[in-house]
Amino acid sequence: MTKKEKKSFNQSLAEWKLFIYNPTTGEFLGRTAKSWGLTVFPKPLTALEYSFTVSDPRSYQGYIEDLRKFLKPYDLEEQKNLTACPDGALFEQKGPVYGACQFPVALLQACSGVDDPEFGYSIGNPCVLVKMNRIIGLKPQGEPRIECISKSENTAALSTYPPNGLIDLKYFPYYGKKLHVSYLQPLVAVQVSFNATSSTVNEVTVECKIDGSPNLKNQDDRDKFLGRVVFKVTARA
Amino acid sequence: MKGDPFPVENPSWTNIVPLLSFQKTLEIYSVELSGTKNIEQTDKGNGKEKYRGLKNCFEPKKNHRKEELRKELDLDDHKLSIKELEKKYGTNIITGLSSTQAAELLAQNGPNALTPPKETPEIIKFLKQMVGGFSILLWIGAILCWIAFGIQYSMNTTSSLDNVYLGCVLALVVILTGIFAYYQEAKSTNVMATFNKMIPQQALVIRDSEKKTIPADQLVVGDIVEIKGGDRIPADIRLLSVQGCKVDNSSLTGESEPQPRSSEFTHDSPLETKNIGFYSTTCLEGTATGMVINTGDRTVIGQIASLASGVGNEKTPIAIEIQHFVHIVAGVAVSIGILFFIIAVSLKYQVLDSIIFLIGIIVANVPEGLLATVTVTLSLTAKRLAKKNCLVKNLEAVETLGSTSIICSDKTGTLTQNRMTVAHLWFDNQIFIADTSEDHSNQVFDQSSGTWASLSKIITLCNRAEFRPGQESVPIMKRVVVGDASETALLKFSEVILGDVMEIRKRNHKVAEIPFNSTNKFQLSVHKTDDPNDKRFLMVMKGAPERILEKCSTIMVNGQEQPLDKNTAEAFHTAYMELGGLGERVLGFCHLYLPADEFPETYTFDVDTMNFPTSNLCFVGLLSMIDPPRSTVPDAVTKCRSAGIKVIMVTGDHPITAKAIAKSVGIISANSETVEDIAKRLHIAVEQVNKRDAKAAVVTGMELKDMSPEQLDELLTNYPEIVFARTSPQQKLIIVEGCQRQNAVVAVTGDGVNDSPALKKADIGIAMGIAGSDAAKNAADMILLDDNFASIVTGVEEGRLIFDNLKKTIAYTLTKNIAELCPFLIYIIVGLPLPIGTITILFIDLGTDIIPSIALAYEKAESDIMNRKPRHKKKDRLVNQQLAMYSYLHIGLMQAVGAFVVYFTVYAQEGFKPSVLINIRVEWENSNVNDLEDSYGQQWTLYQRKYLEWMGYTAFFVGIMVQQIADLIIRKTRRNSIFQQGLFRNKVIWVGIASQIIIALILSYGLGSVTALSFTMLRPQYWFVAVPFAILIWVYDEVRKLFIRLYPGSWWDKNMYY
Repeated sequence: MTKKEKKSFNQSLAEWKLFIYNPTTGEFLGRTAKSWGLTVFPKPLTALEYSFTVSDPRSYQGYIEDLRKFLKPYDLEEQKNLTACPDGALFEQKGPVYGACQFPVALLQACSGVDDPEFGYSIGNPCVLVKMNRIIGLKPQGEPRIECISKSENTAALSTYPPNGLIDLKYFPYYGKKLHVSYLQPLVAVQVSFNATSSTVNEVTVECKIDGSPNLKNQDDRDKFLGRVVFKVTARA
Repeated sequence: MKGDPFPVENPSWTNIVPLLSFQKTLEIYSVELSGTKNIEQTDKGNGKEKYRGLKNCFEPKKNHRKEELRKELDLDDHKLSIKELEKKYGTNIITGLSSTQAAELLAQNGPNALTPPKETPEIIKFLKQMVGGFSILLWIGAILCWIAFGIQYSMNTTSSLDNVYLGCVLALVVILTGIFAYYQEAKSTNVMATFNKMIPQQALVIRDSEKKTIPADQLVVGDIVEIKGGDRIPADIRLLSVQGCKVDNSSLTGESEPQPRSSEFTHDSPLETKNIGFYSTTCLEGTATGMVINTGDRTVIGQIASLASGVGNEKTPIAIEIQHFVHIVAGVAVSIGILFFIIAVSLKYQVLDSIIFLIGIIVANVPEGLLATVTVTLSLTAKRLAKKNCLVKNLEAVETLGSTSIICSDKTGTLTQNRMTVAHLWFDNQIFIADTSEDHSNQVFDQSSGTWASLSKIITLCNRAEFRPGQESVPIMKRVVVGDASETALLKFSEVILGDVMEIRKRNHKVAEIPFNSTNKFQLSVHKTDDPNDKRFLMVMKGAPERILEKCSTIMVNGQEQPLDKNTAEAFHTAYMELGGLGERVLGFCHLYLPADEFPETYTFDVDTMNFPTSNLCFVGLLSMIDPPRSTVPDAVTKCRSAGIKVIMVTGDHPITAKAIAKSVGIISANSETVEDIAKRLHIAVEQVNKRDAKAAVVTGMELKDMSPEQLDELLTNYPEIVFARTSPQQKLIIVEGCQRQNAVVAVTGDGVNDSPALKKADIGIAMGIAGSDAAKNAADMILLDDNFASIVTGVEEGRLIFDNLKKTIAYTLTKNIAELCPFLIYIIVGLPLPIGTITILFIDLGTDIIPSIALAYEKAESDIMNRKPRHKKKDRLVNQQLAMYSYLHIGLMQAVGAFVVYFTVYAQEGFKPSVLINIRVEWENSNVNDLEDSYGQQWTLYQRKYLEWMGYTAFFVGIMVQQIADLIIRKTRRNSIFQQGLFRNKVIWVGIASQIIIALILSYGLGSVTALSFTMLRPQYWFVAVPFAILIWVYDEVRKLFIRLYPGSWWDKNMYY
């Protein structure tokens, strides 16, 4: 708010012009400038904090179940009828039937739950899925990817799957629940590997942002989830 | 009154006046019509009546204060000799008091000043505005907001400041409207000054054997003061020595004529004796020395002033109506609020959230801007009235005037022009009518007769009145004259007809003169004539007609002298009776050319020995005068009558004059008769007349004095046309109270100090701007700047209009409350995202709706509002059930539906169809949910939802605004079609509509980025979603009005007309 108030007149004017017609999004007179919101899975009970004890499976049981449930539609079985779309290009369709692209769960590699049904929690390297909110008609430009960094100093290594956190353009645009049946939103998994496994409590704050796409904002004063998400992982031995 | 005007002293005439048996009346009339100075005589009579009245007024009252006053008035200082006085007050009339004595007395009795009426301290007045009306509710809302924030903050230090904003906004609303109301009130109460204005600044006093000038408030009892012409008398004083002193007691007693003073004890009553001068009255001429006998509040004026402040000021009808309305609305707000608080708590909402709902419900229910709007509306009308010569001191009085059902009006000056004017002439055996209109321009009677030539000469010459010099350019009727009322009338009359009177007098040099005195009852003067060939002196005489006739042996007819025989005497009597019956003052005129042989040019006239003849004169004619009605008054009275307002004349004047004026202005209509009239017509005794047959009544103060309250009630209910004559200003209070017992809203006019209790007691006191005393103006609610009765009628019309228009304003304002309230109720029960925010509601109530609701004050009347009865103050409420039902349940619900349609449209367009919105509230407001899925599978972060919610507020706001435009248009009329009323006649309405749209555009597109206001920019198409509903509202209301017009008196009419 304070930043807003300090906005110069020119900025306001520019913003106003943008409101009347936003050439990037093609929006006219303020349909909410919708951008991706980033959310994470599993859904933590308290605000974006994952906390578990490696030696106590019950402490992360909930997370694992949540992830399994969430990844159910991503089963290979479930994806049989989906289209295998060409990589690297928007998958624009004219209808009346809209196909959904496959998202092979294998892309998530270590976090796919295939090799490790505990999603790394049992070994103290928990996986967190970052997903993008679905927005009808949004066509990302460039090469969108999710970049995660550890906000605390080097206590943990972050691996993202698919590599580089890449999000393929073929999953866009989205045509809505009714038309775009069994659409799978692209996912990026972040695996936190703590360096000093010896210490009893490991803690890291991770910030993930959308990057590489000029029309996807990742910074908004008011919306903390617009193109970014921040979460904290606490693992006890 | 007993049917006959014959105020004759000559007993020989009683035989032609069979009904003149009423001894009491005869006494009263005996001073009337008896000479040129009769005005003064009459008024002395009046004055005495008034004094009696003053005591009467105090006597029957149980009121303790009044009892006290009566006792106080039993002062006997006027009876004491100077020695006794000196002893009583420890003073000496030569040396006065010593300074030490005076200082002691001053310390003991306080300053010689009236205690100003207890003023409420400004801060109390201000605080009253802060807690009055709806303010308490809003304060509660604000405090609840802050408490809610406190609780939130104690649980979570990062909690949002929304509740603080809201609390501050609510407090700000209360404070601003409070300041506004306070300012308005202060502006209107400052219009007039207080009693203090009457206090003379300085007094010349003898102390320590020296003459000193001291501030008048330093005077003490026993001081010897000197007064001279032009001074205001500084305290109640007993006069010790007097040189030609006359005082103006009009502010005290209502007598307009100068009262001579002397040092003699002339009457038992302190109010009637000539040797007392009263505080605050003016010494007109002469000088006098007197001893101070009462100071400050103990003076007669002081006691009346305290009597006036003792009379409770009645609450104005509009104040009662507004209070009634505030109670209804506050009741609805609080009960719905509490009901839904309970519902919310039982639906397992947190108490904190439930409190927030409660605030929302209160804010939605309270029309925050309405009271300010009402004030503005009233002051607009007050301004309009001021242009029409009605200065309104108390804003609410504007409407009171409209609900007036009885007007008790003064006669002199209000109904009449307040100047004697020649009305009729009688010569050559014929009655001629003179023009009595305000400018006298149209004198059409036959002026060719030789008799007129002679008569006009007498009128011109036998007259001591003169124009003040230097007024040549001023119209004759407006010139200032030195002289009494009758002579002034004659002077102006002759100036209009003959031209330069002063020049005529110069040419006819006056050689001798006997001024009028009450023993002679005539006035004469002797002149050299302007005819150079005629060396005879001309003696001219005027006076009481019967006296003049006695002195005559001949009468002039068509310019020729004829012997005065029985027939001509009869003709004279008939004419005299007729003119007297019109309530006019009649004067007789005669002359005599003195034979040149007996009275040569060198003859010295001696007025003491009367060395010239005063009998066997030649009678020339009669002339009668009246204070004629103002030309606008008869129309105004007719208007009052058709408006169902009873006009009662209350005058100190003579019953016959009063009745004549009442008849000529229509207060007594042409075909109605009094009991006495019927008795006279049927030649039966007054007692035999069936009182039901009489429509009119003329009641004197004497009769009123003997009436019980029940009898007065009976009189007031049974006679539609009433004239009170010979009443004292104090009796006005009794009359006003009588009228109020009939549940009437009473307007009273008055000008004297003594009128102030009645003015205060009246529902609306009207003081005269020109003739009124400060005390009267102070006690009044309204001041007539032109003293004209017709202005009151204008005021009544405006007052009625404002009542109608306030109804429209309130109906308009209340309507949207439902549309503002429903969102909260539905939010609580159905769990939708909140459709409209509390602050947004305030922007409707105090933003878009303000100018339109004021604009309704400019609406013209739908039909002739002066053709219906005054509203019944208990039955015809400002806010009645029909108004509330129609506004809330018909138009209000339609508006709510319309606004919800806009809301759902926006949500659906953005992704949330109505079906998913139900019970979405918990997830919607959960800050941990940042991927809430809409009907299309899209996912929303918290902020995106919040933004959509604000867009919803804006959309709902726009929905209400668009429908309020339709609401504004339909409120222009309550019965007629809008097309009958004219869509464009009231331009201010369109200003209002423009203001609504502009304010909404600014809020949405200009301030859309200010978070605290929670407005957002809106797609243009959303502005038009509510338009069909606006049209529906218009059509619905046209249909309602159509059925009301088609089926008057039907169920529909009774339930749908507000």
